[in-house]
Amino acid sequence: MEIEIHLTKSPIPARMTTSALGQAGAWLEFSGMVRDEENGQPISALEYEAYEEMAVREIRRLLESLAIKYPCLAARVIHRFGVVPIGETAIYVCVAARHRQEAIALLAEFMDRLKQDVPVWKRRALPIEPPGSAEKKSYAFRTTTQGHGANPSVSLDEAMDKIRSVCQALPNIRVPLFAALGQTLRETVCATGDLPSHDLSTRDGYAILVSDSTKTFRIVDTIYAADWKPRSLQIGEAVRVATGATLPCPKLRVVMQEDVERTGEFITVLKEDLAGNIRHCGEEMKTGQTILEAGLRLDAGKLALLAAAGCTHPLVTPRLNVTHFTTGDEIIPPDQTPKPGQVRDSNSILVRGLLQPFVNDLEQIHLPENFEAAWARLDLSRIEETDLLLISGGSSVGDLDFTLPLLERLGYEIVFAKVNIRPGKPLIFGVNGARVAFGLPGNPLAHFVCLNFAVAAAIARLQGGAPPTFLRGPLATSLADDPCPRETLWPARVQRTTESTQLQPLPWASSGDVSSMASANALLRVPPNTTALDAGAEVEYLPVMGMQEALI
Amino acid sequence: MRVLFFAQLQDVTGCPTAELAIAERLTLEQLWSALIEIFPALQAYRSTVRLACNWEYAGPETFFNDEDEVALIPPVSGG
Repeated sequence: MEIEIHLTKSPIPARMTTSALGQAGAWLEFSGMVRDEENGQPISALEYEAYEEMAVREIRRLLESLAIKYPCLAARVIHRFGVVPIGETAIYVCVAARHRQEAIALLAEFMDRLKQDVPVWKRRALPIEPPGSAEKKSYAFRTTTQGHGANPSVSLDEAMDKIRSVCQALPNIRVPLFAALGQTLRETVCATGDLPSHDLSTRDGYAILVSDSTKTFRIVDTIYAADWKPRSLQIGEAVRVATGATLPCPKLRVVMQEDVERTGEFITVLKEDLAGNIRHCGEEMKTGQTILEAGLRLDAGKLALLAAAGCTHPLVTPRLNVTHFTTGDEIIPPDQTPKPGQVRDSNSILVRGLLQPFVNDLEQIHLPENFEAAWARLDLSRIEETDLLLISGGSSVGDLDFTLPLLERLGYEIVFAKVNIRPGKPLIFGVNGARVAFGLPGNPLAHFVCLNFAVAAAIARLQGGAPPTFLRGPLATSLADDPCPRETLWPARVQRTTESTQLQPLPWASSGDVSSMASANALLRVPPNTTALDAGAEVEYLPVMGMQEALI
Repeated sequence: MRVLFFAQLQDVTGCPTAELAIAERLTLEQLWSALIEIFPALQAYRSTVRLACNWEYAGPETFFNDEDEVALIPPVSGG
């Protein structure tokens, strides 16, 4: 039997066109539709979820086993997933056979067994929305571009707002401790047991009853650190214990071995020690006590605490899958000597360095300038899996001529294509479902600026956090500028002492500058048409990626 | 090992996927114990949820290795 199976998020055509099967005397089609009610409640749509790979395999296995019982010629199954509005087809099945009996029997049994074994779920019913509410969706501003002349240009604040509202947090993930380093904890972790779980000795010595004032004791047992030997003690009895040993019962104290004289199986206490020399059960944490709050970044010490508490799979922010394309035929690898007109690629390592703490997988590919040649190089299935796509333009390629059509052909809607800042005006931002993309200007300093305000904000949102915000501080020296109608993001060095913050503007001449990047740990926000700012003037600044915690 | 949670199980565990490091191959019973240790709330679903290993339903004879993709399949409701 010929079998064809598809799972799709797109509407299923009402009737499939087929090449006529001359042998088939029966051609049976079935469409399972979404009705206007679910469990008695009016609905507007059903949302299906599918385990795609397995669903396809299960459907095939099912059809192959049914074909033995009911010999048919061909079967085609299309199951839709995602949101399916009422009146649309959720599943389409078509069976061709010599005679109608086997086709009808196969279809009936297939549908029964599909509902038992194929991993597809009606996830939820979408209620009917009151009129007018649809306009309030966050997608309202996602105007599709009408030709490249109509690309929206936005201010810095508008750009930040749009990034904030478009980027949606990816689902958090549970990972083993070793994979959680540097990630943000997304749940408050409470102790599931007391720590220590029992009273422990902090000394090499002899455990005796707290209330026992005898001077000479008989040694009744020996307990090392890994032992667990519960027992009760009587007046006049002592247990030899090692440092870290679990005490055999509560209400004991430990006399240090230096303070006793031992004769065979007896000890005599020479010096009374008021300290109990015990780490008590629950002294460090008690069952149910919060040990780490949600929102903390997990460093090595916090991971060790989680390990001690038995929390082996914390819920953390997801790391991102990033694809980075560089373009521009003048760009050469850094290990080559540039000929006139060529320039070494400094953008790739900058992206890798800035994004490293946030990335699960980063692939960097240099694309040819020719659009169709570049398109042929793309791995579309990888882009489907890419949370964040970055395209760094070469200065010889018009960003608008290359990046915009590329993003549009990849199915991204363009949210904005210019930002009124310098450097970094030709910044493009696009969205495709939960995936986002930036077209970055290729000039090194402009590239640096755009990564540090726009891409940083997107990453923070995708990881479920708050985007970085501008801080305020005084200039260490005066700043002279050519008046520019755009806002300027000026590379700067923030010096912080316990008493003060000083912002030192760094010299830069053009968006191609690379030197200032090596010293910059922040970007100053200089208002439009500024000619001079005096030393001591308060300005806004944004720490560069990775410096937020250090500079707040 | 990558573990996938579907439908309401995502609400139970708080995540669609989890990475689990296993030192040696596990039986179905051992894997369930490991999952319930990490996600105690799964205990309530154990009788109704089937496990899949590399896109096929697992049975008592299945062994699970670290490189496998494992899915927890609650009762399905397609069609």
